[in-house]
Amino acid sequence: MAKASEPQKSELLRGTLDMLVLKTLTVRPLHGYAIAQHISRLSEEVLTVEQGSLYPALERLQKKGWVTSKWAESPTGRRARYYTITAAGRKQLGQEISSFDRVLAAIGRVMGKA
Amino acid sequence: MSFLDGLRHRLRVLLWRTSHERELEEEFRFHLDLDTAQGEHAAHGALTSRDARHAALRRFGNVSYHKEEVRQMTGLGFTDMARQDIRFALRTFRRAVPFTVVAILTLAVGIGANTAIFSAVDAMLLRPLPYREPERLMKVSLIVPARGTNPARDDVVWSYPKFATFRDAQGVFESVSLWTDLQGTVRMGDEAERLTYEITDSKYLPTLGIAPAVGRNFAADEDRAVGGPRVTLLSHALWTRRFSGDSAVIGKSLLVDGIAHTIIGVAPEGFRGMSGQSEFWVPILSMPAGEFDQAWSHSFVQVARLKPGVSPAEAKTAVVQLGAVVDRAWPHPEVATERWGARARELDATRVDPLIRRSLLVLLGAVGLVLLIACANVANLFLVRAAGRRREIAVRLALGASRARLVRQLLTESALLSLAGGLASVAIAWWGVKLLAAFQPAAVLRAQQSSGLGSVNFESIHLDTTALAFAAALTILTALVFGLVPALQATRPSVTERLKDASDVPSGRRLRAFSTRNALVVSEIAVALVLLVGAGLMLRSLSNLFAVRSGVTSDRVLTVRMTPPPGFGRDSLPGYYDTMLERFATLPGVSGAALSDCIPVAGSCNGTVVWLHDREKVPAGSEPSVGVHWMSPGWPTMMGVPLKAGRMFSSEDRLGGRKSVIVNETAARTIWPGEDPVGRPLSVGQGGFWPDTAYVVGVIGDVRYDGLTAAQTADVYLPYSQSPRARLTLFVRTAGDPAAIVPAIRRTMSELAPGVPLYDIRTMDARVADAMSYARFSTALLGLFAGVALALATMGAYGVISFAVAQRTREIGIRVAIGATRADVLRLIVGQGAVLVAVGAVVGVLAALAATRVLGSFLHEVAPSDPLTFVAIVAILVVAVITASWIPARSAASVQPTEALREG
Repeated sequence: MAKASEPQKSELLRGTLDMLVLKTLTVRPLHGYAIAQHISRLSEEVLTVEQGSLYPALERLQKKGWVTSKWAESPTGRRARYYTITAAGRKQLGQEISSFDRVLAAIGRVMGKA
Repeated sequence: MSFLDGLRHRLRVLLWRTSHERELEEEFRFHLDLDTAQGEHAAHGALTSRDARHAALRRFGNVSYHKEEVRQMTGLGFTDMARQDIRFALRTFRRAVPFTVVAILTLAVGIGANTAIFSAVDAMLLRPLPYREPERLMKVSLIVPARGTNPARDDVVWSYPKFATFRDAQGVFESVSLWTDLQGTVRMGDEAERLTYEITDSKYLPTLGIAPAVGRNFAADEDRAVGGPRVTLLSHALWTRRFSGDSAVIGKSLLVDGIAHTIIGVAPEGFRGMSGQSEFWVPILSMPAGEFDQAWSHSFVQVARLKPGVSPAEAKTAVVQLGAVVDRAWPHPEVATERWGARARELDATRVDPLIRRSLLVLLGAVGLVLLIACANVANLFLVRAAGRRREIAVRLALGASRARLVRQLLTESALLSLAGGLASVAIAWWGVKLLAAFQPAAVLRAQQSSGLGSVNFESIHLDTTALAFAAALTILTALVFGLVPALQATRPSVTERLKDASDVPSGRRLRAFSTRNALVVSEIAVALVLLVGAGLMLRSLSNLFAVRSGVTSDRVLTVRMTPPPGFGRDSLPGYYDTMLERFATLPGVSGAALSDCIPVAGSCNGTVVWLHDREKVPAGSEPSVGVHWMSPGWPTMMGVPLKAGRMFSSEDRLGGRKSVIVNETAARTIWPGEDPVGRPLSVGQGGFWPDTAYVVGVIGDVRYDGLTAAQTADVYLPYSQSPRARLTLFVRTAGDPAAIVPAIRRTMSELAPGVPLYDIRTMDARVADAMSYARFSTALLGLFAGVALALATMGAYGVISFAVAQRTREIGIRVAIGATRADVLRLIVGQGAVLVAVGAVVGVLAALAATRVLGSFLHEVAPSDPLTFVAIVAILVVAVITASWIPARSAASVQPTEALREG
């Protein structure tokens, strides 16, 4: 079963992916493809994940109530599902960023000392 | 509100599942289309749209995998699978209707019967008593040591003076109370009714934690003085029936035996006292002096509520001490050395007669075994079917279905079946419970002088939530029991072997599955044998009971209980009864009328001792015990009791003349062994025959008074002319149907003594039937269960053998082709059944020998290991199973070799 080993990558990235999605949505509501594009462009292709795994993450964020979605017309005229970050989502993002900052600072100190 | 947003999302997914699914589809397509277009655009036409699509798909990853991930995220995965499983299961059931119907019915019978019996066990043994904190209530009894031929007793009722001593000395109970039930004539207008009531004290309701619904309880001063105010509390039932539930009833009066009692309150609905039959309550000390205030007239049950902080064990120890206190206060008047005691038990432990408790548990065990057989049968059906589905399962395993998934599929099937069975079982349980509750053993239980609380009776059995929860639990349990084994077994073999196994050549694996089926059938046969032997023993016991002679000719005899009209006393009673008998004897359709105080086989007769004046004095307390009865001179002749020696009572035996008694054969044999009792002088401890000397004038045949199973007692009969007794029972023998004479009797009585209630009017035949009804009841139920078990076990054997025949068609064809005769084939197949039943019978007989010992106390003159029963039951089983295997054997014997070989 090839699939069994795959989630390892997304497992590693799950928390990060959630954070990136939330961060991406702070600017304006976006559809799934735009979120994927935005993340890979911003991270200069370093953080490229299988784009499909974005959708389970979006589903998870919706279940937690951090993101809502509704269907709307895209610039090309096609219907697309647009995701919006909620107030709770912004709060969550703030918490995640600050804890992420702490971790980063800690790593920086450790690496600096070495 | 993140919580609400999340919830809304989940709800939407749940409610609009298909549209959610469609949206997911659309979203993915949108993503891929956009990415494809983007790729094409970025390559400036260097990529074909197909390559661009592939690149997009590569970037996206496995579409269905991600879809499945989203689905699992939304929590749909599991329910979707379950829906799939259920749909699949229903489809397979539609393809196998007979299998499904048989399985559901089997389970319905098994679960339904269990639920019904459980309802009885719950009502009789488990459900908390309907009082406040029932676990704090205790029953306190007197202990009487063995004396002479009388055994020691530890559950003796109290007299009021002894109770009062106990009450004033005790410190472990918050409150103590006492009660006994009586019958009284209640007159309202022209109508007189005979009603059961309890006499008790002011602590009765508080002890039980019951508050009057209307009015008040007895006040403490209303139960403390002999001849106190005459007050009464009504039951809710009497209040609604006779006073239309009017609360203005307080202060009105109730005429009890001609005496007005002021109504002070009404008990809450459903409360009928601890006797379970009380219509109203009267305080003890408002009763006339001399009746309930005698220290040596014991008739009260004592109930006590523990003080907070006192444990039942502590109370028990304290009561032993208190017993000694009561004994010191009330030494035995005749036997100075005799020490009485007292003991306390949890009230709950005394709620039903030990015999009933045991028989209910035996029935519960029996019906549990029936369910076990039912499960084995359904499991067997599943195994047979799973064998037929081997290839289907192998294909699904090969296509990548996990074993867990397949087991879940098969378990879904069994769960659905048991769900259907469980639902159908509610109908069976409902019907069974109605049947149980309709069974009225009250009179019977009294006849057997059983202990226990009247308020815990068969009428309290009903199908409630507890019973339904029990049925639900059983349903789940059965699904697991009969589903898991076949499911695991069906999915065990490796894929390749199954796929290769296209032919019907027996393989090692199949033999194992086959032997599981055989083992199931063997255990079914064994369990069925245990049940059949149990039922057989009960049946033998019942037929022995039928053979017990009551001693009277009971056909066309009507018995009517009555009280004399007010104003008749010792001197006038015999005359009153003489007149009455004359009137009844001349009534058209009546061939004889007589009076006696006690009804044969119905129990509750008086007992006393006799002193023999022509013998050496025996130590006080070791005089012979006898049953004592009062009768009119014609009673034995009319009831068909033969005269064995001497004469019957006659007009010579007058009040004031020489006193005469008649004894029964057992008395003659045990009191005067080898001698002629006629003419012997003696005194009898009751009826004014002590200390006067009376003489035996005759010996009559034995009559069974105390049910049919108790040992025959020595009985002494007194003439009612010399020992007037107020309460007598009228016995009337009729030419035709005894019931038809009732109106004439009522009319005659109302002319003779207007307003005298006649009650408990029943034929003697019905009373004899009553005495056997409990035995008949448990025998019928056990027989029913055994019958079901036999049918199921036979069905199981039939199923297994016909399956084997179907599997062996080719083998049989070959055998026939190489010269086996029809008889050979029959022998082969029937032989298989014979082996099954032989093994099952051996196991079953061993198990039955161990199991039937619990029946010992229910059996009348049958040993639990009665060889005749065992042999007969084994024979029945052998015949049933051989017959069951005969049918498939015949079809096997008619196998045409060419056909069988071509089929393979």
